[in-house]
Amino acid sequence: MSYQDMEMRAVYGLTLCELMEQDKNVLCLEADLSKASGTNPAVCTAFPENFINVGVAEANMIGLAAGLAREGKIPFCASFTCFASRRVYDQITISVAYANTNVKIVGTAPGITQGPNGGTHMDFLDLAIMRAMPNMHVYSPCDVYELRAVMKYMAMHHQPTYMQLLRPKMPVIFNEDFTFNPKKATLIFEGSDITIVSTGYTTHLAVSAVQELQNEGIKAEHLHYSSIKPFDEDLLIQSAKKTGCVITVENQNIIGGLGGAVCEVLTEQFPVKVKRLGIQDAFGEVATEEYLLNKHGFNVEHIVKTCIDMIKSKRGN
Amino acid sequence: MSTITKEQLEHLAKEFRYVITDMICRAGSGHLGGSLSLVEIVTTLYYRIMKIKPDNPSWEDRDRLVLSKGHAGPVLYVVLAYLGFFPKSWLKTLNQNGTNLPSHVDHNKTPGIDMTAGSLGQGLSCASGMAYAAKLNKKSYNVYCIIGDGESNEGQIWEAAMFAGHNKLDNLIVICDYNKMQIDGKTDEVITLEPLADKWRAFNFEVFEMDGHNWDKIYSTINRAIAVKGKPAMIIAHTIKGKGNAEVENKVASHNIKINNQSDYDKYMKGLGYTMQLPY
Repeated sequence: MSYQDMEMRAVYGLTLCELMEQDKNVLCLEADLSKASGTNPAVCTAFPENFINVGVAEANMIGLAAGLAREGKIPFCASFTCFASRRVYDQITISVAYANTNVKIVGTAPGITQGPNGGTHMDFLDLAIMRAMPNMHVYSPCDVYELRAVMKYMAMHHQPTYMQLLRPKMPVIFNEDFTFNPKKATLIFEGSDITIVSTGYTTHLAVSAVQELQNEGIKAEHLHYSSIKPFDEDLLIQSAKKTGCVITVENQNIIGGLGGAVCEVLTEQFPVKVKRLGIQDAFGEVATEEYLLNKHGFNVEHIVKTCIDMIKSKRGN
Repeated sequence: MSTITKEQLEHLAKEFRYVITDMICRAGSGHLGGSLSLVEIVTTLYYRIMKIKPDNPSWEDRDRLVLSKGHAGPVLYVVLAYLGFFPKSWLKTLNQNGTNLPSHVDHNKTPGIDMTAGSLGQGLSCASGMAYAAKLNKKSYNVYCIIGDGESNEGQIWEAAMFAGHNKLDNLIVICDYNKMQIDGKTDEVITLEPLADKWRAFNFEVFEMDGHNWDKIYSTINRAIAVKGKPAMIIAHTIKGKGNAEVENKVASHNIKINNQSDYDKYMKGLGYTMQLPY
């Protein structure tokens, strides 16, 4: 089976195995969600020595990872985004970011993809709170090939990192030749009428929106940011200079995440009108992705309509 | 260094208490009580037990110490300085702007600090990670972790305890500085830890208790803990907060003292009951 036919989490497990094959210091840490992360049975049977299940104890998982990293290990610690970020925010802040330990934190099932687990598990804050932490890199790959490239980069570089991991199959955007550089975002479509900025889960939605806009004769430029921090400022500013208006689309609260990062850069360096699509400061609930995308206003139709409205407003009609 | 005599140890402890009190007073505030309660334990570890190389602080076969109660930094700083990890002149910079010796220990700033700590409850997890890594790397070093009694209120301590017990980390030796006081009062009044030894036994630790100010007991108990196989060890050290300085000894207020003027300074130095030459 080729990667593009696989669930993202299965690729996470397989890629961890490859990384362990190359470097025995790579470790997989889990907090009783190893099946959900795609590492059980893939990693725990192939590399039992490199697999540590701490039980339902995420705080301990982070501290343990920091201690392992002090001894040269490269621990990848996974849990649902809510438990991998907000639940252990102080542990990550002090034992990982402040202590500058080489720990990789993987938040699985981000945002609305938590579906059946509902509001308690549906975390819309992780990009914002992790981005606000000094020393921390924050990534959100959108497909299997980008995920693999991001993981290889993570294993090779001493850098506290938080990565969102989408679990299901995702539409393929990249190919096997893609290499990841956190300082470079990806220009997916060139255009001149409006800039659409997306990350992780929303990138395939933005791709569909760009294609629909093309049918209407609108040329949207689409930038995909797999790294929210560091943030490729140049690509955004260049694009904003060309199009004069920007929309952001994220599977997160619009406060502080991708939209926040875009607004910070543009207000300081090249102010243009920005519209942030995503969760409008609300909690989640048990529901399907389709329902939530529609309710919170960031499905493909919303993106298309918002682009058309912004272009009209830019042109003064 | 295990040939050091008790007289030499007594002298060192006296000098360390003098320097710790002076350092904290110079800084204007600091965690005096919980530093003084650990003098004999930290001195014994570094002068008699731990394998270390002061000229190579990151020597990979060294024994590690995680001071999870990171606010007791001053007691570790004075011991590390006297062993030559860094110049003794650094000691007078405690908490000064730009210092390498912050109130809470920081491995990115100070040679000889094995793990950054300060947010209570996290160090035992980190120490467990270091001990686990030793097993994976087939290294024979031991990891010592000093936790506070107040710190033991943190849930993460017990998460880490469950992990260390389950994984039989017999290269992990935890010492609880049981001075029976925390910031807001006596531990029994704030939130009781008892039965403390039974708690650790229930988490699959081999548990020892010792007088944390008795040189012979400390040395023999730690050696018994090192000898334990198949489970981690917990040493409950019965100590006295502020030990050796009458102004703060056995007083809750010793946790963090404030020095506002010369007369405060004189008061805390006088509490030691002796004067010495400072090394800086």
